[in-house]
Amino acid sequence: MNLTPIIQIRNLHKHFGQTAALNGVDLDVNPGEVVLIIGPSGSGKSTLLRCINRLENFELGSVIVDEIPLTTAENINAIRTEVGMVFQSFNLFPHLTVLQNVTLAQKVVRKRTKYEANAIAYALLEKVGIPEKAQDYPGQLSGGQQQRVAIARALAMNPKIMLFDEPTSALDPEMIQEVLDVMLQLAKEGMTMVVVSHEMGFARAAADRAVLMDEGLIVEQATPEVLFSHPTQERTKRFLSKIL
Amino acid sequence: MEVKKELEKIPGHEIANHRIDAWWWLVAAVIGLVALLSVLMPDPYFRIIRFVSDGILVTVGVTLTAFIVTLLLGLVIALGRLSKNGFIRWITTIYVEVARGIPLLVQLLFWYFAFPSLIQSLGRLINFQAFIRYHANPFVMAILGLTFCYGAYMSEIYRAGIQSIPKGQNEAARSLGMTHGQAMRYIILPQAVKVILPPVGNEFISLLKDSSLVSVVAVADMTRRGREFMAANFIPVETWMMIALLYLVMTLIAARVVAWIEKKTQTEER
Repeated sequence: MNLTPIIQIRNLHKHFGQTAALNGVDLDVNPGEVVLIIGPSGSGKSTLLRCINRLENFELGSVIVDEIPLTTAENINAIRTEVGMVFQSFNLFPHLTVLQNVTLAQKVVRKRTKYEANAIAYALLEKVGIPEKAQDYPGQLSGGQQQRVAIARALAMNPKIMLFDEPTSALDPEMIQEVLDVMLQLAKEGMTMVVVSHEMGFARAAADRAVLMDEGLIVEQATPEVLFSHPTQERTKRFLSKIL
Repeated sequence: MEVKKELEKIPGHEIANHRIDAWWWLVAAVIGLVALLSVLMPDPYFRIIRFVSDGILVTVGVTLTAFIVTLLLGLVIALGRLSKNGFIRWITTIYVEVARGIPLLVQLLFWYFAFPSLIQSLGRLINFQAFIRYHANPFVMAILGLTFCYGAYMSEIYRAGIQSIPKGQNEAARSLGMTHGQAMRYIILPQAVKVILPPVGNEFISLLKDSSLVSVVAVADMTRRGREFMAANFIPVETWMMIALLYLVMTLIAARVVAWIEKKTQTEER
């Protein structure tokens, strides 16, 4: 089968002032693939993720998403409607109810009617397991519930790709599984996902590929089983010994 | 209602409620004093009120008009100062520095006395009749002067409010495909409004007091009418005491209204 990668990243460079965050990253993600990015803090994994929907600018290299190159402002907005993002700190809109959080972008970006948007929102809240919270405000929800709303909010735009930036790092341990369960289900349904996370259980259960980054470069990539059990690089072994 | 019941369990809630009542007592006391003076000594006190009553309306009108325009101007300038465009940022920053660096009284004198002369000179230079015959309307120039000055302060309040909203809010909105304008309108500004409400209320009260300065540029506001009454009757103590009390009634009521709006928006936040 000859698949065109849905994300093509070539020679990506990014600097924050004097510090280099990305030093020439190449990465392809195929449709339906679940890619897990791991690495020590400051290795550039979140920056790489944020370059895919251009929340970060980059100096050099190219990012092509769904055959659209990230160049002009129109392209960026076109890509952002195809790429959903879930943040470590949820970033729900605190002044809107759960339902409004999930319907707002549908109405103003996708131009759906209130009726359509509500129907989609309720279906998605059902899917993430909290339909009864539709009229609550984010502040009344637990962290796990908030993150599930954030996933529903992103899914409501019918994205082709979902980016997860450490989705469980800000959660209490007992709430991590409820979020991972939603992500596992998404993976099973064939969603293309790029996940920055150190959740090894999720990696083994759902990821097609694990990528280890360090100092703005991809050190090693393989299936999770191979990468975790038989790493070839010394750097990978050192990192894994710390987190496993 | 449930929230209210919960609040009543908190020790000291009566004191908090009591304090709010106490402020309204102060408003009532000042209004009562004005009424008492008017009834017991209609001459001169009620005579003063009758004489300046048209000025009261002018003061309220000038303040409200200038405040509404200031709210709009401040927002435009704040968005300009946060713009990605370096030229727009530069222009709006210069404006804020200039408008804040010159005393309001001097600005009002400039707009009323100097600006029309400049327009007339320009008209003669380019031979444009409408400019040559230009005459300043005191009311318009007073509003312009107040707005020009207060717009700068208001823009700083807006800017601080917008910048106080966590960056993640904008990122979440943009990641959903919203444009910069949509993110501002639906996500950032609604949250910023709650933050800036107290300082905006203070600006309104300042503006109400500073509106007395327009009396020097031929606007017959309460202060100017007070001066006219003084000139005719030579009773400075009674005149200025009554004018001061009338301003106090207005500012105290405005402060109570601001506090009420603040409280209302805070209890709505969950």
